[in-house]
Order: sequence, then structure tokens, then C-alpha cells
Amino acid sequence: MSPMPQSRGKGSVPSNLYTAILAVALGVVLATSVFVAVQCFTQYKTIFGMP
Amino acid sequence: MSTLTKVLIVLLTVFSIFLCGIVVTYVANAENQRGRADTLKRDLDSAEQLQKNAERELSDEKGKFEVAGRELEAKMKKLQKDLSTLEGNLDAITRENAQLVQQITAMGASVEQANALQASQMQQAQAAQQDVVALQADQTRLDTELKETNQLLIEKMAVVAQLEAKNKQLIEANQELESRLNQYLRPSGRAAVTPQPVTAAPAVVQPAAPSTAKDIGLNGRVTDVDMRNALAEISIGAAAGVKPDMKFHVTRGQQFVCDILILDVDADKAVGVLDLVQSTPQAGDVCATNL
Repeated sequence: MSPMPQSRGKGSVPSNLYTAILAVALGVVLATSVFVAVQCFTQYKTIFGMP
Repeated sequence: MSTLTKVLIVLLTVFSIFLCGIVVTYVANAENQRGRADTLKRDLDSAEQLQKNAERELSDEKGKFEVAGRELEAKMKKLQKDLSTLEGNLDAITRENAQLVQQITAMGASVEQANALQASQMQQAQAAQQDVVALQADQTRLDTELKETNQLLIEKMAVVAQLEAKNKQLIEANQELESRLNQYLRPSGRAAVTPQPVTAAPAVVQPAAPSTAKDIGLNGRVTDVDMRNALAEISIGAAAGVKPDMKFHVTRGQQFVCDILILDVDADKAVGVLDLVQSTPQAGDVCATNL
């Protein structure tokens, strides 16, 4: 992604869409990480160490 | 933004979503290993406790087993001792049984011998009874003959008396004739000689000497009395001369008690029936054949 605005041709997708897609991917990964951390803490009372 | 970057963004997003879905699915469905471990640990602790309890119970049971084994050994020793005692008793009883069987056999032989002896005695008794019957018949015949002889003797005695009277008359006549003859001859100094008869004088029958009875003189004592059957036993038997049908007179001091008519005689004792009982005889009373 270039910081420079590019010319948008007919049928091209704007860059913000990919930024949103990345945000979605980041949110999904973050939510997954939180869920896994909660599950680990709930079941094993720790997140990174060995129970 | 290049196309490659866009493609990578899309792929990264897609794979991120896919990977996160897989992770979420896995984590959501994953088993609680800690709880499982805790459960397994508790199970392990419980199993170890059970093992300890089982080992303790095993040791207790071993102790009980050893005690029971010692008790059983003691009981077995006692039972073996009892068994040996019982075997000894069994041997003794077996020997006693054999002795009893021998005694029974000997007694059976004695019984058979006694039966044979009894049969022989019965035959002898029957023979003796037949002899008694024959003797009674002879006695009856002899009594009849004696009566006839007595009758004949009385008749003969009557004839003898007549003959004696006639003889006496002849002797008186002879004496008268002799005295007359002497009166005729006396003046001539002679006397008549007593004529010697031609016929020799018959020998005079001398009467037989009177029979004399001799006392038997047996003395004894009454040894047993059975008043129910009127029997008594005396202390002398065949060895002293006692015979059946003898009569003993029982006295106590100067008192007459009864008579005993002997029925059966043994070597040293005799049994008889009571007769003329004046008072109850007792053991120790004197019995004799002559008063």
C-alpha cells in the first residue's frame, strides 16, 4: 500500500477496502487470541505458563 | 498498491479467518486437560490409598492367616493325637472282640456239650424210670407170691400144729408104756432101754437169725432252703454216702423241724423235698439220717 493516492480505474477497488479487510483480519485474530487466552485462563489458570 | 499486495491482503485475511475459525473451534471443543489431570490425579491418589489399604488388609489377612495356620496346626496335632488314641482304643476293642468271639465259641461248645449231657441224662432217667416200673412190677409180683407163700405157710403151720399135738400124744403114750414096762421089770432089777429109732432123726430146722438193721449215721447241715418250691440243700453228698430217696431228719437244738427226702445227689451236696414240716427250716440246721 502506497501512501500515495493512486488513480482509480474503472472496476478498481479502493485502498480503504483492503484496509478494512486487514482490520477485519486483525479483529478476527485479536478476538481469537482473546478467546484462546480466556479459555486458557479459565481452564488452566494461566495464559503462558504450564499449569 | 500493487496487485500482489492486494492478493496477499485478501489471502492473509482469508487464511487468518480460516485459521482463527479452526483455532476457535479447536479451543471451544478442546477437553479441559487440567480438570482431566486433576481427576486422574484424584483417581491416582484414591487408587494409591486403596492400594495402601489393600496392602494393609493384605498384611492383616496374612497375620490372620498365619494365626489361623498355627491354630490349624495345633488342631491337627491334637486331632492326630486323638486319632492315635482312638486307633489304640480300636485295637484294644478289636482284641477284646476277638476274645469275646472266642469265649462265645467256647460257650457254644459248652452249651452243646451240656445239651448232649442233658440228652444223655434224660435217656438215663427214662431208662431208670423204666427200671423203676419193672421193679414195681417185680415188687407187685413178689408181694403176690409172698401173700401166697404166707397163706401156704399158715396152712403148713396148722398141719405142723396138728402133727405136734399128735406127736405129743404119742410121746405121752410112749412114756406111759415105758413106765408100765419099768414097773414090770423093776422087780427083776432091770429097766427098759430107750429104743434107738431105725430112722435117723431129721435135722431140726433152725430159724434164721433175726435181721438186724444198722444205723447209717450220716450227719450234715442245711445249706440252703427254697420254701416256695419246698426244697432244701444239705452239705453232704455222694462222697459221704448220700443216695436218692434217703430221708434226713432236720433238727434245731432239741426241736424237730422237718424231714428231707433226697431227690438229687451231687458229689458234695444233695437236694431234697421237704416233708413233715413243723417249722421253717433254716440254713445251719442239723440234718441226720437217725435221730
